[in-house]
Amino acid sequence: MEYIDNIPIYLQIKDILYRKIISNEYELGSQLPSVRQLAVQFSANSNTVQKALKEMTEEDVIIPQRGKGNYVTEDDAIVNKLKDHIVTEMFDTTYDKLHSLNMNDTEITNSFSEYVKQREDNHE
Amino acid sequence: MSKVLEINNLRYKKNNKLILNNINLDLETGKIIGLLGANGAGKTTLMRLIAGVNSRTSGKITVSGVDSKAAIKSCVSMTYSLKSFKSLAGGGWSKRSDRVKDVIKFYLEVYPDFSLEKYQQMAKFLTIDNNQKIEALSTGGQEKLMIALTLARQVSLYLLDEPLNGVDIMTRKKIIKSIIQWKSDDSTIIISSHYVTEIASLLDDVVIIKDQTVNQVISVEEIQTKYRLGVEDYYEKIYEGGLKDE
Repeated sequence: MEYIDNIPIYLQIKDILYRKIISNEYELGSQLPSVRQLAVQFSANSNTVQKALKEMTEEDVIIPQRGKGNYVTEDDAIVNKLKDHIVTEMFDTTYDKLHSLNMNDTEITNSFSEYVKQREDNHE
Repeated sequence: MSKVLEINNLRYKKNNKLILNNINLDLETGKIIGLLGANGAGKTTLMRLIAGVNSRTSGKITVSGVDSKAAIKSCVSMTYSLKSFKSLAGGGWSKRSDRVKDVIKFYLEVYPDFSLEKYQQMAKFLTIDNNQKIEALSTGGQEKLMIALTLARQVSLYLLDEPLNGVDIMTRKKIIKSIIQWKSDDSTIIISSHYVTEIASLLDDVVIIKDQTVNQVISVEEIQTKYRLGVEDYYEKIYEGGLKDE
C-alpha cells in the first residue's frame, strides 16, 4: 500500500473502502473481510482499520452484526449519496484548478465535453 | 486501558559514559509503537534494558505489572542477532546444530511460551525452510526467521530491533504483513526502523529518542492532523532542532 504520508491513514482506508462499495466490488448487503484481513491487505494497524470501520458505521454505510462482522448496507440510497459526495469532491478540485487558470464556466464545460469526446474517440 | 510498560527515571551508563538519562515512558497495552532516533541514540540499548539483557544504572522498569529482571524476561520477547546463537551453542555451530530447525529446538527448550504452531504458520507465510543451514541464510532470510521466532513466543511485549535492515523491499512488505497478521490484540509491539515511512501505517504512536532521553511520545494521527506532516518529515524536524507548537 502506498499512502499519502501526511493524511491520517484511517481516512485513506475509508476512502478506498467507499470506492470499492460504490464500484460494487463490495456489493450491497455483502460481508466485509474481517478487521485482521483488511489490516493485512492494507498493511495497516488493526486499530487504524477499526477507526475507519467505526466512522463507516456511524455514516450508516456498513452495519456491524454481532459476532459476524461488518456488512455493507442494503440501502442503495446511502451508496448513491456516497457516490454523489465523492464525485462532487473530485469535481471540486478539478473545477478550482481550472478556475485558477482563468477559465470561465462556459470554457470549462466546453473543454470538458471536448475532453470526453476525445477519450471516446481514443477508445474506438 | 492497562499499562504494559512503565519506565521511571531510567539511567544507563557504560564505561562511565552516560548513554540514556532520565527516561520516563508509559505505554498502553495493545499498540504498535515506533521507536525512532539517530544511530547511536540508544534505541537498541533501551530495548535491551527493557528486555533485561542489559542492567540499568538506576531507575525502574515495570512490564505488565512486574519489575524483577527474571519475571520481566518471561513477559518480553526481543529479536536478537542469529550470531548470538553461535556463542550460546558453545562458540561455533556444531555439525548437529547448524540448521533452522536446531534454533527452533533451542527456542522450544528455553521458552515455555514458544508456540510451535504459531511459528509454523509464520514460517509458511514467510517461506522459511526449516532444514536450511543458518549460515546459508541471506540477511532477509535471517530477519524473517528472527521475526517468526520472536512473535511465536506468547508474551505481552515484543521488541523488534531494526527487523527490516538490509532486507529487500518484497521481504520488507512480507515482514510488515506478518507482524499485522500475527500480533494478538492484547499484546504490544515496539519496533525500531530506519524505514520510517514504510512502517508508518503500522504504528499507533512514535517515541522519539534524542539527547539521551525520550524527546516525545506522539500519535501518528496527531502528527498528520495537527502538524500536517508525515512521520518521517516530523521526525527530521524534531532532530533539526524542534518544531514550534501551533
